[in-house]
Amino acid sequence: MTDLASLSARALAKAIRGKKVSSVEATKAAIDRLQACHELTHCIVALEKDEALAAAKTADAAIAKGNAKGPLAGVPLAHKDMFDRKGRRASWGAKIHPDKPAAEDSAAIARFKSAGALQIATLHLAEFAYGPTGHNYIVGHARNPWDPTRITGGSSAGTGVAVAYGAIPVGLGSDTGGSLRLPAACCGVASIKPTWGRISRAGAMPLAPALDTVGVLARHVEDLALALGVLAGPDARDPAASTLPVPDYLAHLDDPVKGLAVGVDESLIAEAHPDVQRMVEDVLAVLTGLGLKRAACRFPDWQTLDHLVQLVQLPDASAAHTAFLRTRAGDYSPQVRSRIELGHFIGAVDHLTALRARGTYVKRTLDQTFKGLDVVILPILADPLPTLAELDVAANPNLLTAMGRVVKFTRPINYLGLPTLALPVPRKGGLPNGIQLIGRPFAEAQLLAIGQAYQREVPPEIARPLQQSR
Amino acid sequence: MANSKASPNPPAADEPAAYLDMTPERRAAAKAHAALLSRTADRVARELPMSADVDDFRRVLAQEAKP
Repeated sequence: MTDLASLSARALAKAIRGKKVSSVEATKAAIDRLQACHELTHCIVALEKDEALAAAKTADAAIAKGNAKGPLAGVPLAHKDMFDRKGRRASWGAKIHPDKPAAEDSAAIARFKSAGALQIATLHLAEFAYGPTGHNYIVGHARNPWDPTRITGGSSAGTGVAVAYGAIPVGLGSDTGGSLRLPAACCGVASIKPTWGRISRAGAMPLAPALDTVGVLARHVEDLALALGVLAGPDARDPAASTLPVPDYLAHLDDPVKGLAVGVDESLIAEAHPDVQRMVEDVLAVLTGLGLKRAACRFPDWQTLDHLVQLVQLPDASAAHTAFLRTRAGDYSPQVRSRIELGHFIGAVDHLTALRARGTYVKRTLDQTFKGLDVVILPILADPLPTLAELDVAANPNLLTAMGRVVKFTRPINYLGLPTLALPVPRKGGLPNGIQLIGRPFAEAQLLAIGQAYQREVPPEIARPLQQSR
Repeated sequence: MANSKASPNPPAADEPAAYLDMTPERRAAAKAHAALLSRTADRVARELPMSADVDDFRRVLAQEAKP
């Protein structure tokens, strides 16, 4: 049997279904890898070894009887610890937890279960998913598997780390200002932040509901397609969940990409570090080699988008936390507390202006920036992978500036709600980083087809500490 | 933050978010950042049609869908 760590979820599911490997074997191996990963990176919140192995035995028994449950039957996964699971309390990466066990599974967990997936652990996240670096002043910081002195990106830090290490092939995260894309870039894996509303948020811890988007991280783009097909679709529990038909993403993975147009806003990209600009050019060289056409484009006012998304996010997050902040303010870390406090200073009219303007700005972006284009490329991080120490700003006066630089290229996209595929750049022996391809609304299938073609040229990697970094 | 103990940093009663127990420095920084964002909101509001609605966002995403 091939090294299980390197298999995609799709390939592992096929091997389990074909009895080349049992779910118990795959689950034991995943637990061992995850524990080793945790020693290096602090990625686990709770390991669920006994329950996972029992579920794996059940899966094997069903498969032996020819009753494989779904496309992920018997595949061990692990997820960011912010999704409701019946009878359990998520940690939210915080001192403050749900006041009682969840009455039912979140939509995302329920759909993974229906697809036959197992869960072996819950994974690290920023406190209340409110942090873009992987720092967590309550439960401890997550560390990067390529270089443990560097950030993992956040808030879906544990999922990014565990996927990069090869402990799991795919796992859940969420993205309100970059929380899927940043760990993908920092850990050297892929992620899909689908169009806002494509995946139900029911039972997912809210951060800023007007922006919150559930998505997945994976090493293999085909696993993003598989998982998105499992997770997407309408849900009576989330009125924002789109009722638009869900394409067969796997069936479209090998759609031709030759001739698709990728937009490049050179003036905006020039605001990134020169090394990051070169990484974007490296990716563009691969994409144009695949037959995509490069074209100039321009976001008319990136700073306005960045201000508008903050006008939505800050009070939205503060509103979700009002009750806890009034009764348990001391249980927040100073960093998260100061950001939640900030939302109380945004006027209601300003907040509503940002919400009322959202449709106008999406239409303007599609009509102007995306004119004649299929996708637009941007960096994810503005800088080469920072160290934990460089961004250990806690609640210092430069917090907003430092965090603003980290989410410079990610946060405004959440205001637009557009789907975004994160891909690792060609690493060339150095530290990982990533780019994002932004698509038109609900064009996830096209993004995934581009990603699949890209990975034929830049294959997924398993993360291990580099001997010398930078 | 409002709690049973007397705040060491009582803000003036007419301050925004006077119920929050914040140091003067944090309060000043929050006010400055909110003012920066408010200037953008003011500029955007002047360009928006009266009919602009919070539901426009979802409508535009669905109308422009390219599955």
